[in-house]
This record gives sequence, C-alpha cells and structure tokens, in this order.
Amino acid sequence: MKRELNVNHLSRVEGHGAVDIVFENERLKEIRLRFTEGPRFFEFITRERLYSEIPKIVSRICGICYVSHRLASAFAIEDAFGVKVSREVELLRRLLVVGEYLESHALHLYFLALPDYMGYPGAIQMAKDYPNIVKRGFRIKELGNRIMKLIGGKTVHGENILAGGFASFPNREALESVGNELRSIIPELEATLSLFDSLDYPEFTSKVSVAVSVDSKDVTEFSDAVSTSDGVRFTRKEYELFIKEETVPYTTAKVSKLEGEPFLIGPLSRVNLHLKELHPAVKKELALLKTNFPSKNSFHSNVARAVELLNVAYRGVEIVEELLNCEPASSEISVEPRAGTGYGVKEAPRGTLYHRYTFSEDGHCTGANIITPTAQLQAAIESDLRNLTETYSSVSDKELKKLAEMLIRAYDP
Amino acid sequence: MVKVGIMGLTGCSGCQCEILNCEDAIGKLLGKVEFVYFPLAQDVNEFSDFDILFVEGSVSTNLDREKLIKGRERAKILVAVGTCACYGGVQSQRNDEASLEEMLRTVYGNVKLDVEVFKPVPLRDVVEVDYELPGCPLDKRQFVYTVASLLNGVEPFFPKIPVCHECKLSETDCLLLKGVPCQGPVSFSGCGAPCTSAGVGCQGCRGNCDFPNFDELLSIYREIGLPFDDSVRFLKVFRGKTISGLKVRFSDEKGA
Repeated sequence: MKRELNVNHLSRVEGHGAVDIVFENERLKEIRLRFTEGPRFFEFITRERLYSEIPKIVSRICGICYVSHRLASAFAIEDAFGVKVSREVELLRRLLVVGEYLESHALHLYFLALPDYMGYPGAIQMAKDYPNIVKRGFRIKELGNRIMKLIGGKTVHGENILAGGFASFPNREALESVGNELRSIIPELEATLSLFDSLDYPEFTSKVSVAVSVDSKDVTEFSDAVSTSDGVRFTRKEYELFIKEETVPYTTAKVSKLEGEPFLIGPLSRVNLHLKELHPAVKKELALLKTNFPSKNSFHSNVARAVELLNVAYRGVEIVEELLNCEPASSEISVEPRAGTGYGVKEAPRGTLYHRYTFSEDGHCTGANIITPTAQLQAAIESDLRNLTETYSSVSDKELKKLAEMLIRAYDP
Repeated sequence: MVKVGIMGLTGCSGCQCEILNCEDAIGKLLGKVEFVYFPLAQDVNEFSDFDILFVEGSVSTNLDREKLIKGRERAKILVAVGTCACYGGVQSQRNDEASLEEMLRTVYGNVKLDVEVFKPVPLRDVVEVDYELPGCPLDKRQFVYTVASLLNGVEPFFPKIPVCHECKLSETDCLLLKGVPCQGPVSFSGCGAPCTSAGVGCQGCRGNCDFPNFDELLSIYREIGLPFDDSVRFLKVFRGKTISGLKVRFSDEKGA
C-alpha cells in the first residue's frame, strides 16, 4: 500500500519549496524535495551583456544574500581580467559581509526559525507575547541593513558593489559610527547566542559525512580555494570538477554531489570546520554553551548562526579599526576587459557559492555557470529527511511533517 | 480588521524582505490589519478574501499563474510590488531575443521539467492590477504610503517624473555630465535616487517615467563612449517590453 505525506507549500523559507515523503507498505520508499520556484535563466540572461552589467543582474538571484552574488561575480570578473583591488576595497567588502550576515542570520533566526521553537505560526504573532525578543531581532537586522546601505548604496541590491570596487567610499564619521554600533550590539548578540543555545532541538545525527567551505578562517575573509572535512583542498578553478550538478525533472534547482555523494555546506559546516579560528571572545562564549561543537545535529545550524553573528560583529569592529588607519585611497575603478574565463567563490550565509563567467575580448559575457547553496544542499537535505523519517518512525504524521519543515528551515534554503 | 495578503511568485523575495524592514510601520499596522496570508513570515496562511493583496515576482510557471488568478478573484485591491511584478524583472530582459526552448536548453540542457514554464511576464499580462509599486526592490516608504492611503480610503498617487528631479532635490551632481552612464532622465522616480548619490548611474530599476526620450539619451551615451548595442542592452535590463517606444534597432538586427 502506498501512502504519501506532502508539505505542498513550505512556509518561512525564502523561495518556494515542497516535500513529498512516500511510504510503501509502511516503509519509506522515496523522499522528494521539490523547489517549485520558476526558473529565471540567469545563465542565459547574463550572456551578451557587458561585464559591468553582471553583478547587477546576478544580484537579483536572491534578495537576502545579494551581497554574496555580487561579490562572487565581482571576484570572477576580476579573475578573468587580472584586476587586483586596493586594500581599502578589500576591507570595505569584508565590512559589507558583516552587514550581510547580521541581516540574513537575524532574519533567519528570529523571523523564520524561532517561531517553531516558541510555538507560534510566525514572528508577527510571537511579537504579542515576546515583544522584546522580536525587537532584538529587528535591531540586529537593522544594523546589518544600515551597513549594507552605507557601503552598497541601498539595503537590498545596492548598486555600488561593483567589479573592481566601489564608485564611492563611506566617510570617516560614518565608519566610526558603524564601529560604535557594532560594539554596542555585542550584548544583544550574546543574548541571541544564549537564547538559541537554550532551545530544545530534536535529537538527530546527520549521515552526510563531508562538510565543505571556502578555505578562510571565517566568512569575513575571502579565498581562492575550498576545503573539505576530508582534508581535500581544491581551487576555485577546480570547483566544477569536484562539485557535479545534475538536472532532475521534479525540481527547478539542480542537484549537486561531491564524488557522487551529498555534502554539507552552511553555518554548521563552517563553525565545525573553523572552530579553532573563531574570535577569542567567541571561543570563550562557546565554552559556556550546552551545545557542543563540532555537531552532527543539523538542527544546531541555528546555534551555529548565532555563533557566526557574534563572530562577525567582533571581526567587524577590527575591520573598521583597520579601515580608519588606512591611507585614504581613490575610489576610481579601473577594469580593462580581455578575453578569458574567471571564477569566484564566496561563503553566502547559507553556504558556498560559485560563479564562473567567460568573456570575449571586448568584455561581453559568452557563458556563465552559477552554483547556488540551495542547489548544493538539495541532496544533503533529502538525505537528512530520509534519516529523520527513519529516526522518528513512531511519531504521528503531523509531528513528522512539522519536524521535516523545521529540518528544512534549519538549512535556510 | 483589514485583511492583507503578501504573495510571492517567481522572484528573489527582496521586496518581501524590504516589507519586513518596515519595522515601525508594521508595529503600528498590527492594530488595524491582519496578515492572513504571508508564507514567507508565517505558517498559518488562509487563502480567503483579501482587502488588499500585495504580489511580488513575475508570472513564470503554471503554478504562478493559478495562484495569481485565484488571488485576484479574492482580492478587493491587488497591488503589484517590485519590478518583476510590474514589468517582468531582470529575468524577462531577453524575452525578445530568444525562444523559450533556447533559454531552457542553456540552463537545464535537455531535461524536461515537471513544472510548466513560460517566458516571465508581469502581473498585468495575466490579471487586472489596481496599483503598481515598481523598484528593485520596491521602496519601503512607498509601501507604507500605499498601505496608509488605502486604509484611509485615499487614492495613492505616484507622479511619473524622472529620477533627475530627485537628484536636484538632493543636490547630487549630474553623473551624465561626468561621463557616467545614467538612466535618470528616462526613469520613474520615487526612490530618492540612492544610486546616483553613491556615484553609480541610475540603473532604471523602476521603469519608465512619463514621455521617456530614449533616442536623446542614446545619443548622450554615444558621446560618452558607450557602444550603441550595449546602450540598448543597458536600458533593457529592468524595462522588459516597456522599452518598446524605442525607434532604434540593434545594429546586428536582433531587435531591441
């Protein structure tokens, strides 16, 4: 006898998804995670466009992690044309990432994830009973937005984030005030970490064994290489040789595998892989938590997000100080196109992101490939869902559906 | 209580995030409105009657189309939010340059998707739309203004004057005079011109102002050294087919 559990519209996730859990004779037969988002043909619409149009177009892949898409494409363009950016540009980009993470992680934790653990349908309903907690979420998000607006020009899809740098730099006063605000948000982020550490997460051990992340000490630093928990290190040029994408009919996102197997990316993978490289003050906090890292419980991605929030704020304070000590550089951008292919990798809030572009001599795009975190996570989430269904075989259908939704949300697809 | 719905079709959710950024306004609204449908933010969503339904994203699949038609049937007022919903968005910029088959083949190879896909189109190609709030993303002040107006029974009004007007108000130097490609003269204002004040030309994300003079702007681009075909493509990114007033053609005859 065949029986199907379906969640047709996943709520509190960015984008559109659905899950089917198929049983036959009461045994799990198949799990399908379907992204039903309409295709937007980014690899097609970037073609024939001038290189300077690319960051603007790919920014629109995601309204939450647009900074990552803009930077990954800028890295790829700079790689193709042999452009080196100034120290000031590098630092401003790193500060921009601090803003991106504050916004994205606070949005996820307080507005998408927390209502599950507090027993509310959403943060708007939760605000009636927990106004101060929701306000804290807003406050962290707001600071992230302010940093992105200051450097990028707008809170969402800031057009000042370009290949080669920025058309204008923020002034000293504005940077000083960002530094002060980052310092003053730290107690809120500590409170966030202890809140998310205190929640009751379902018992769960992921069977996906390999974790992948950009090879840098944390998300505020960039790198040309990617490393895995197996000790493999590969360059951005080798990305497509390791991470293979395939198209399956039931989902409009592609499915990626590493050597034929699902793999993990995202906050939990990053914290697990780079535990020793966290800021000393964050390490101290970590020792006080009931959650132990490294963790194989996918639900702990939420605690990992709170760890990253605190970590990026401390790094942000350091970056601002370094920026204030920088010799003021000119914001003039000099990018000279030439024929070639360039590659960019970047840790987006939800995982490793890869962009590749090929350009003609006069700087027109002739080919592109973008591998998003959601596509790379599809196989891992399906594996976790299978595992979850087996682990919780005795719970009611309603509870299983709820757990499946919480698990998917933990990946923030 | 006024019943409000916020629906997302094919897009990036950036406009819905911008709506969530209206912290103070949402707080004040909660005494007067009830969000009965907002899947991005809550998991109890009722698809019943809406006093106001905001829709983000372009119509790109059969699922989008069905959802939109059902939403329209149940909504007293339907508002398109963002450039995808108003003009089709960046995903529709090459609709006139290639067939759907070519677009699908470039991205998905020869695999046939289960979902029915068509070229991305704005809401107004499928249903009647009461108000349009363009922008990529929409401007949150315009969202608040629209909600406040509708709640008070006032018709929201958006003058279609060019972005240049906002540069004058903010005393931003003209970028075209400095040789930076800018779409301000042909673009619908209302954003407060944040891009030009950051030193980046207007990208035209809010679409056309009234009586846009593309031909004149193209001659300015020629003077500052932007090749003709690239100029047309630059203007097309956010405008979808609303650029059809253009009298010129691509030099390689691919059509503008």
